Amino acid sequence: MSFTLSLGRFYGIDSLIEVLIILVAIVISLYSHKIYKIIKEQNYKYFSWAFLFIAVSFTFKILSNLTIYQRIRIERINFVYTVFSQPNYMQILNFISFILYNIFYLLGFLILFLILTKTDKKEKIFLYMYLSIIAILFSIYFNFIFHLTLILILVFLTMHFYENYKNHRTTNSILVYIAFLLMLISHIFMVFSDVHSLIYMISEGLMLIGFLFLLTNQIKLKKFTYNYGKKKQARSNKRYLRNTAKK
Amino acid sequence: MVKRNRLEVIRDILEILQKNRQVKITHLIYKANLSNNSIKPYMEYLLKNGFMQEVSDRDKKFFKITPKGNEFLIEFSKMKIFSESFGL
Repeated sequence: MSFTLSLGRFYGIDSLIEVLIILVAIVISLYSHKIYKIIKEQNYKYFSWAFLFIAVSFTFKILSNLTIYQRIRIERINFVYTVFSQPNYMQILNFISFILYNIFYLLGFLILFLILTKTDKKEKIFLYMYLSIIAILFSIYFNFIFHLTLILILVFLTMHFYENYKNHRTTNSILVYIAFLLMLISHIFMVFSDVHSLIYMISEGLMLIGFLFLLTNQIKLKKFTYNYGKKKQARSNKRYLRNTAKK
Repeated sequence: MVKRNRLEVIRDILEILQKNRQVKITHLIYKANLSNNSIKPYMEYLLKNGFMQEVSDRDKKFFKITPKGNEFLIEFSKMKIFSESFGL
């Protein structure tokens, strides 16, 4: 058994981008989990899962990038036979990490879609899950099917975030809208990534910018504590201490 | 008028307490737009978690916000911004 890892086609730049995306997704997931612990509202729990799945998916994508030169071209109908009859362990590792990336990534965005469209009927959730599995299976043979499915989900998500921006008209809501719009454009580019490697890098760059917009949203939340909260809090705490001292 | 959820009612009560040095229960009921019965579980929750405290002044009961209550108000505002930005 030999392990041959490489930096991939772009000297590891794409993997570096993905590490940053993982960090942003984890930050959002942790914050949503924190809210869930306080409010105990299921939506925040699932929202946290969605971003956690996206983070996990990118971890598998990095693994897939590192073993990119071991990728198997599947031409037989029975992909299980094709993959596991290969003597090279790295090829199996590449295949499994690639499939796990597809599964977790699609699952993450599907959960986001289900929460934001307030889909709670079990039959509908089952149907969406089933169609996603079909899309993942097809993507083994035709990679663009995976991206087309995501484009469809992202179109609905972007529309939701645009409506949300129209309702609230806040900087935070426009940041989220732009972030998802960039993710959508990134996946449109990704469909054509096999045509030229530059298209793949543009797509990765757009995805990173999208996640950086989400990070800006989180940073603005932190700043809010400093700008708005401290003054009011200090005034009230001062009053509290003064009254306690009087007693 | 949109019905407030549990957390929004808690936020409203704490904001009233934050704006005033100390508040009587009747004033709180009126300002928070709640009934005598409906305010009880919120008061219990806020006292139990240390978000507000009860004080006696000339045989009258008053309530005032604690530093923990102030922190919760800030956290609540942040949670609301997060929730609004994603439309959750």
